[in-house]
Amino acid sequence: MDVLRIEGVSKNFGGVTALVDFFMVQHENEITGIIGPNGAGKTTVFNLINGVYPLDNGRIFFINQDITESPAHKRAEMGISRTFQNIRLFKNLNVLDNMKVACGWKVRYSLWEEMIRLPRPQREEKEIDEKARYFLEYLNLTQYANQRPDNLPYGIQRRLELARTLMAEPKLLLLDEPAAGLNPKEVVSLMEMIKKLQQDYNLTIIIVEHHMELIMKICSLIHVLDFGKKIAVGKPEEIKRNESVLQAYLGDGA
Amino acid sequence: MFYLKVLEITSLYTILVLGVYLMTGLTGLFSLGQGGFVSIGAYTAAIAFMKLNLPFPVALMMAVVMGAVLGFLIGIPTLRLRRDYFLLVTFCLGEMVRAALLYLAQLTGGALGMAGMPRKVGLPLILISIVFITFILYSLKRSRFGRDCIAVRDDELAASMMGINVFAHKMKVFIISSAITAYGGALYAFNILFIEPNLFNWLESGRLIIITFVGGLNSIAGVIITSAIYYSFGEFFRFIDVWRDVLLALVVILVVIFRPGGLFQGLELLPQKLLSRTERK
Amino acid sequence: MKINLILQQLLNGISLGGVYALMAVGFGLIFNVLKFSNFSHGGVVAICAYFGYFISQHVYPNFIVTLILTAIVGGFIGVIIEKLIFRPIRLKGAPLTLFLVNSITAAMLVQQFFAVMWGDNYYPYPEFIKETAIHIGEFTVSKIYLLMLSISAFVLLILSYILRKTKIGIAIRAASSDIRTPSLMGINIDFVISTAFFFAGILGGVTGYLLGMAFTVDPFIGSMILKGIIAAIIGGMGSLGGGVVAGLLLGVAESLLIAEIGASLTPIVIYASIILLLLIRPEGISGKGYIVKA
Repeated sequence: MDVLRIEGVSKNFGGVTALVDFFMVQHENEITGIIGPNGAGKTTVFNLINGVYPLDNGRIFFINQDITESPAHKRAEMGISRTFQNIRLFKNLNVLDNMKVACGWKVRYSLWEEMIRLPRPQREEKEIDEKARYFLEYLNLTQYANQRPDNLPYGIQRRLELARTLMAEPKLLLLDEPAAGLNPKEVVSLMEMIKKLQQDYNLTIIIVEHHMELIMKICSLIHVLDFGKKIAVGKPEEIKRNESVLQAYLGDGA
Repeated sequence: MFYLKVLEITSLYTILVLGVYLMTGLTGLFSLGQGGFVSIGAYTAAIAFMKLNLPFPVALMMAVVMGAVLGFLIGIPTLRLRRDYFLLVTFCLGEMVRAALLYLAQLTGGALGMAGMPRKVGLPLILISIVFITFILYSLKRSRFGRDCIAVRDDELAASMMGINVFAHKMKVFIISSAITAYGGALYAFNILFIEPNLFNWLESGRLIIITFVGGLNSIAGVIITSAIYYSFGEFFRFIDVWRDVLLALVVILVVIFRPGGLFQGLELLPQKLLSRTERK
Repeated sequence: MKINLILQQLLNGISLGGVYALMAVGFGLIFNVLKFSNFSHGGVVAICAYFGYFISQHVYPNFIVTLILTAIVGGFIGVIIEKLIFRPIRLKGAPLTLFLVNSITAAMLVQQFFAVMWGDNYYPYPEFIKETAIHIGEFTVSKIYLLMLSISAFVLLILSYILRKTKIGIAIRAASSDIRTPSLMGINIDFVISTAFFFAGILGGVTGYLLGMAFTVDPFIGSMILKGIIAAIIGGMGSLGGGVVAGLLLGVAESLLIAEIGASLTPIVIYASIILLLLIRPEGISGKGYIVKA
């Protein structure tokens, strides 16, 4: 089944082209990579998938539903979860509350019940609390539960963002440069973590990354972007041998 | 008697501060028009009671509803935009309410204001209101709604990616805040017994914001303490009263620079909070 | 309304609008660079209105000299405000909300200070111009208003030249799209921000002086910044050109409305139209929008 289908999507920012006529199909339970030099439009793809800004042209389908016009929070509810290139945790919430925020939309109690503390909110809050602790435990973050994210090491913050995405029980996970700023050892454990996640929760994952080793090892399909255009798509070994990909990267000086 | 009066006035203003705390402190929505909502509440209740001869509780309810409705109407065009628009439009709103009250002189008495309300609001009602509002705010703060508020304040974009309907959330916050503020205004009208259009200008709105910040964004207790100190201060130190706002302003700037979390940081005093903290551990 | 009355109001409106435009640009300069609504600009306006009154009435009653002096003082007040209350939190990387709190606080500080010190009185500027009106045919044109218009236009033209042609002006505009750009040009960002505050302060100084001269000085004169802010919204936040056009429009609309429906209803109509405008076209007349970066 196709989890995600992007059809001919384009995006301009004040005359600067970020993405042109982009097509992509994402199969269920697969890990796909999007690579490309800086400014190639990789993050733009993510931002369009989860509705950070509207697109200029084209359509996006999520599990056969047209989500082109859906607002960001609706897409999150449908099951698209993401991490951010420059970690966006909520500074004024502790780790546990950061986790809980991500599944707030699931609660069934109303604002009124919450105001006067009826039993239902209390019960559901307890469930959410257990769930948050479960996922913290799952990614070995329990010890940080009551700390503010600001005080945590970079690698832990990245892992927390990952844990937070799981709270909403997503179908599609978008990871925006999950390895950025991590040391080689951390990258290795990240790779294992992503694979484990994918298997344990039957996730479909798209990764934007500069870290070639990570991409080549865990992705089954790779899309290559350059200046907003897709210049290649294929299996890792195909991409490694692709002329235009080498050109784009060498031309970029990388 | 003197102390009772001071306590009354201080408590009245603390209700207004609490209304602003939810939107500005917890959610990061700045309104320079809350003074307008105080006036709306005060005038609605006064007119309902005096001109329409409605019973006092009904007049109070009308004030709350008016505040909420006005909040909703102002929220529609502004809460989708950058926060600055919200701030600036509420600034305009405050001035607009003032101009409207002056213009509708037949109904409101214009610049002469309204007087002659019976004293329906005493200290007990004010204190009960504070306890009730504080209870509601605490309840919200420690569950989903409060979490969402802080998430929206910290990072709107990330909040929407967490499935929070940011616009709807801000709207709810603004409506609740405005309702509380209007309620405070209604109490004011029936306690002080005199209202006029210039009573609550943008300065008053700014003051409410500032007290929230001195008290601490994450501390309802801190905000209440700061409000109590500020509003009773002048009564005890008459000779320095005129300098009160200048002093407050200086304190605020120092606090913002050196202790940006507010004087009381994340302090909360209610026993429930302390209990729930130990439970969590 | 008779046609020449309308023309009369039009001219008055444009003159007043010129001052609104000054405020909108002073407000917009800072908004562009630091992205917060700088209410302390109203404080600068108020201080300068008092300062202008003081030197022109008590020290040296010469229009040009005192105006220039007030403008320069305004510029330095802008710089001082930035150094004292905005720079410390900027260096700490504080969120925008704290900038806002400080700017509102500064405005309040200034207003309350003057209210306590000189709040009981209204202070009139000296009459620089003996004959207050010129008659052209059936027209009567207030000289003060003509003066206001020409000075506003002059100041805005100079500023526009500086922003377009000088290195520091270009750096300020570059900082508007990305605060990191000036350092790429080899200009210290602190210096760029200080200069932006200096220019905004100069505009505030001229505004204060002109407002003080046209009306009288009282502590609430800083609240006139509201008009500048409205112009900035109508013009599209962040667009200086839009702010100027909107300032003029606002001035004209205000004058015509006052003549037509009276002074008490006018503000209500204007505020209501702004709220409506935001509903229909939030990007203002210039159509400049903001992109949130993920």
